[in-house]
Amino acid sequence: MPEIFTTVYDVFMRTYPGFLEATVVTLQLTAIGVILGTVIGLVFALMKISGSKILRAIANIYITIIRGTPLIVQIMFLYFGIVELYTMSNFWAGAIALGVHNGAYIAEIFRGSIQGIDPGQREASMSLGMDRRQTMSRIVFPQALRRSIPPLGNQFIITLKDSSLVYIIGVAEIFSLGNREAAQSYQPFESFLVVALYYLVLVMIFTFLLRLYENKLDVDRA
Amino acid sequence: MIIGENIHKSFGDLEVLKGVDLHVRPQEVVVLVGVSGSGKSTLLRCFNFLEMINEGKITIDGHTVNPKKDNLTKIRAEVGMVFQHFNLFPHKTVLENVIEAPITVKKMKKEEAKKLGAELLKKVGLEDKADVYPSKLSGGQKQRVAIARSLAMQPKVMLFDEPTSALDPELVGEVLQVMKQLAEEGMTMVVVTHEMKFAKEVADRIIMIDEGRIIESADPKNFFENPQNERTKQFIQLVE
Ligand SMILES: Nc1ncnc2c1ncn2[C@@H]1O[C@H](COP(=O)(O)OP(=O)(O)OP(=O)(O)O)[C@@H](O)[C@H]1O
Ligand SMILES: [Mg+2]
Repeated sequence: MPEIFTTVYDVFMRTYPGFLEATVVTLQLTAIGVILGTVIGLVFALMKISGSKILRAIANIYITIIRGTPLIVQIMFLYFGIVELYTMSNFWAGAIALGVHNGAYIAEIFRGSIQGIDPGQREASMSLGMDRRQTMSRIVFPQALRRSIPPLGNQFIITLKDSSLVYIIGVAEIFSLGNREAAQSYQPFESFLVVALYYLVLVMIFTFLLRLYENKLDVDRA
Repeated sequence: MIIGENIHKSFGDLEVLKGVDLHVRPQEVVVLVGVSGSGKSTLLRCFNFLEMINEGKITIDGHTVNPKKDNLTKIRAEVGMVFQHFNLFPHKTVLENVIEAPITVKKMKKEEAKKLGAELLKKVGLEDKADVYPSKLSGGQKQRVAIARSLAMQPKVMLFDEPTSALDPELVGEVLQVMKQLAEEGMTMVVVTHEMKFAKEVADRIIMIDEGRIIESADPKNFFENPQNERTKQFIQLVE
């Protein structure tokens, strides 16, 4: 048993400069994926709750396709699709793929929190003479946005782990580096253990931050 | 002040209002009673155009509303509504709740709105709660804020849908007190309530709705002592 600790330790010490760089790439991918996903998600959530049948149908098709296919396929599809049209770095192709993927899930988060607002809120607002737009922007959205933050944080954590899949198009993030390390060093077990540790620590940090935020929300509301 | 003529309202196959005629005069306080499901809330919501009537017409302050042409948003602003479950905006403080509509709808200056808000909160006895969030208030306090919020739009008529039904018994009085004061000041009011003591003391007229029709309309004394309709008699026995 102690032997494994020393070899893992050795691998860790030898590789951490590279992994720290790869961690930055992973975090960048995640951040762009979530931010882009939030913008896309907001647009599609609005389409889904809009009065227009066409807009709703488009949103439904998008969400169904994204949720119904594996992320890794979407990455490949977008990668080869985009690279045909534009020259673009692998990093951006991967980040955009994550954004498009997240968009569908975040659209559902926003839609859920908007529709989860008590209809009485809308009625009270309308009864005061506010129109639909004012009711949405002043009463419904601010409350929905607050409710969205915990699931968005959750989505961030999922994205952090999902971003490992862009190794397939050769982006130098954590998993991709670990993969290379495993092959070159003939120490796959130790290498992937180190990879797992990086993800675990990152996820724990973000989970902790999310908790802090949720507690603060609870305190504000109590 | 508010006149409903031959109001019909259906939800799908279910006809909830079957030709209601109700003429509320300026400064009049009308109490609506009736068993659960008789259509009381629906009638109030039609008066505020939260529901659209299928047939009939509604006239507010001399203007017969044409739902297709008129700006319903503007009409709603003239008809205040107080809900059973308060429906305060939880992300806004008490004062912000009150001044939200004057600022966004009437484009009132913030300073002016705050002054108005402070006056109204004083009127309902909550001037010291201006900066508190609704979650910190008791049910009775919430409902008083909701009344102040509604008053801030200077409505021509106020509709109350069971304003005290969600309250603990000891908190009912403070809300009824505010409503009584409003009535004394000459506000035109339509109130759905089970508080018969309030009805007797404050109402000019009590109206019984049954299965989507008005079956009794009388001043409190006659309503309780000399009801005409059999269903009204049963209802009175039930609540007394
Ligand atoms: N939006 C709606 N869709 C379908 N049916 C509805 C809707 N609103 C009310 N109803 C139905 O209309 C009928 C009358 O409802 P309403 O709320 O007006 O009754 P009420 O007299 O206010 O009763 P309560 O004393 O329980 O509040 C009920 O059968 C109710 O189920
Ligand atoms: Mg009701």
